[in-house]
Amino acid sequence: MPVARDTMIEVIDVNKEYRRAGAIIRALVDINLTIKSGDFVIIQGPTGCGKSTLLNVMSGLDLPDSGKIIFDGENIARATEDRLSKLRRQKVGFVFQDYNLIKTLTAIENIEALLWPTVLSSKEIENRAIAALRDVGMLERKDHFPVEMSGGEKQSVALARAIVSKPRVVFGDEVSGNLDPESESQILNLLKKINEEYETTMIVVTHRESVAKYGNKIVRMSKGAIESIK
Amino acid sequence: MVMRLWKKAVKMSLRERKTFTVFVLMYTVLIFLTSFSLEMAISAEIQTRGLGNTMFLVALIASIFLTLLYAWLIVRRNRIILATLKCIGWSSGNVTSLILGQIFFTTLTGLLLTVETLFHYMAIVGYLQAEFAPTALVINLPIVTLIPVVATVGIFVAVQLVGYFGARGRITKVRPMLALKRVGE
Repeated sequence: MPVARDTMIEVIDVNKEYRRAGAIIRALVDINLTIKSGDFVIIQGPTGCGKSTLLNVMSGLDLPDSGKIIFDGENIARATEDRLSKLRRQKVGFVFQDYNLIKTLTAIENIEALLWPTVLSSKEIENRAIAALRDVGMLERKDHFPVEMSGGEKQSVALARAIVSKPRVVFGDEVSGNLDPESESQILNLLKKINEEYETTMIVVTHRESVAKYGNKIVRMSKGAIESIK
Repeated sequence: MVMRLWKKAVKMSLRERKTFTVFVLMYTVLIFLTSFSLEMAISAEIQTRGLGNTMFLVALIASIFLTLLYAWLIVRRNRIILATLKCIGWSSGNVTSLILGQIFFTTLTGLLLTVETLFHYMAIVGYLQAEFAPTALVINLPIVTLIPVVATVGIFVAVQLVGYFGARGRITKVRPMLALKRVGE
């Protein structure tokens, strides 16, 4: 018997427009989407279809013009920047296309950095970072700087940083965009493993068709609207 | 928590060797010049006061400019990283603490280096004057006393406030979305 899962994110009638050189671009048009806790959602579509904008509003990086974003029971569509910062620190992890690691910090320091502005002790922060590195199989590279790592290794460290605070949701923005097929498969398998082991909700934006097989929910977008959900 | 961020700022500054060294040296020269011109401005010799005042003004403006330039450079060079930190939950205040820690540490290193240099300078001048007293050139070498150095420290602390407001304004403007780059898709 399947276990009933909570709703993690609910997007209700969300619209978002941008102004570019005097023209109005409708980035999101009447978006409605429900994501359950533990889902692995892949958002696909061509360049300019609004998938990154959808990721931004769902993760609290940007605010919609209208509609609601219910994140873990809280409407964040009109939240203050302080509230959104707190939400991102406590419940959200990010994995970026370009890894976005700090080049003057080692792998473990890059992961610890997420927890520096918290009340946790330095020892606790270090223990959590070590656990996160172990989860992604990068513990032996903990003292290496980003420049000494391959693309796949950097993305693994970035993934460890994303999960170190045990977030409810991890957002991935073209996580395999800069990786070769082997590293892509390695990173996506890691995301899948974390999704299954910790029931972390994964939301990955990609234009690559090969990524779809990892998700249990595929959202296809076109011209700012959702075309299909499978 | 702020202390932890400042400690990390020191570590990060030291690892940015080139930028750190260049700015420390520039600060050292400026702090030295400020102390020197202050000494001339407050000295009893009327003929050097005018020059001292002008030099002091130039050094002060240069130090404000340098502090703002350093704040601007750090924020500009690390925009994506600052956006990433905001993305992962750092507040603008946390990011400001990290950046200010780097600016303060650089200035402090410059101050310590100046004080150290002044000690050696004074020792050498003292030795030369004692040994070669009849030589007019050596006797006329200027001496920087404690008061201008202490006053310079105060002035540079005040200048850091200018850097603080400059950096804070720029950091607040960095949007976390910048970390994802392709905004508007």
